Amino acid sequence: MKEFLHHFFLPRHTNNYRAGILHHKILLSFILFFFSAGFLMSYLRTNFPSVLGTFTDISIQQLLLLTNEKRQENGLPSLTINDNLSQAALSKASDMLGKDYWAHNSPDGTPPWVFIRGAGYNYIYAGENLARGFNNAPDVINAWMASEAHRKNMLSSNYQNVGFAVSTGKLSGEDTVLVVEFLGSTTYAPPAVAKEPEKPATVAVVPGSPATVAKIDTETLGAQKADSSKPKVIVANSLPQVKPLVNSQTLSLVSIRLIMFMFILAFILDMMIVERKKVIRFVGHNLDHLFLFSLVLLIIIILARGVII
Amino acid sequence: MHKKLKTHKGYYLSLLTILVLGLLLTFLATPDFILQVIIILVTIFFYVFWGILHHLLNHELTPRIMIEYMLIGLLGISILFFAHMGGLI
Repeated sequence: MKEFLHHFFLPRHTNNYRAGILHHKILLSFILFFFSAGFLMSYLRTNFPSVLGTFTDISIQQLLLLTNEKRQENGLPSLTINDNLSQAALSKASDMLGKDYWAHNSPDGTPPWVFIRGAGYNYIYAGENLARGFNNAPDVINAWMASEAHRKNMLSSNYQNVGFAVSTGKLSGEDTVLVVEFLGSTTYAPPAVAKEPEKPATVAVVPGSPATVAKIDTETLGAQKADSSKPKVIVANSLPQVKPLVNSQTLSLVSIRLIMFMFILAFILDMMIVERKKVIRFVGHNLDHLFLFSLVLLIIIILARGVII
Repeated sequence: MHKKLKTHKGYYLSLLTILVLGLLLTFLATPDFILQVIIILVTIFFYVFWGILHHLLNHELTPRIMIEYMLIGLLGISILFFAHMGGLI
């Protein structure tokens, strides 16, 4: 084993003074492995999503709680879920997925306010935050809070109500999770001072199609009491409710980290030992390859993050 | 190492510029995935081209070195492909 590792990672006489992992045949094997494993993962994700799939844990309940947490931290009153705003948010998400766009205004110029009015919410103030590609609610809220414009929206004292939609679908041919947040108020009056919620929120989500609904007890969601004593209705998201046996994102991340670590280690050791032993050989510059691997890693880090507008 | 960096300062700086520019454009192209793929492929192509050209002008360019740059470029692409198929990016 020790001999094998030496041969694989260190330049020595047994590997013609080039770490075994950097030999052409081994490089080719890794290339073939990544391409074939990629196709296999895609096949399994499509045909056996309960075995290998992506699990996105974004609940409307969590989005609301975190939003209100941030507002309370900033001395602002909590927002209450409004079913009209939630309906408007779902219409906006469906419109984006149906017309394949990612913007505040649709390609035909329809602004977000049309969806809000269309859902029967006669706003005086209204705002919209959008997010896509996130895996959990805290990341969505943190990304919004990190952006000045989105933060301003979330922490505006003009708003009293909020509506969320979380929808899965394809944008530009890519599977994605969209989060739409509509904020609004129907009165000019400044909202009451924030109070701590009395007990944690509970949301019953009905699994199934994107149009399914869930009942929600508004009294438990924030500091403010709901206008009506009737239970509010929010639109449930269409995220898969079954957690896959293996999360494909975790699997690919772990594999990539492991293999790239092996290569980076081999490049550095190969470079150092050859320099020290003053071996003359005709190969490419390891430093070039290290630069490229850094680029690949940074691209993965950048693209793996969600996007907000 | 230091000597190598000093001797080929222009090469390493230009290579880093190409890669950083590629990364920046990839970031700016968000959320247009197709455009991002094109930018990444062009950046990796330039990396291979630049490495081969550098060896041709400053060292002895052998078929093995050419193949090495192509394989490393392909390995980078295959890793990104794998990440994409796994839903990571």
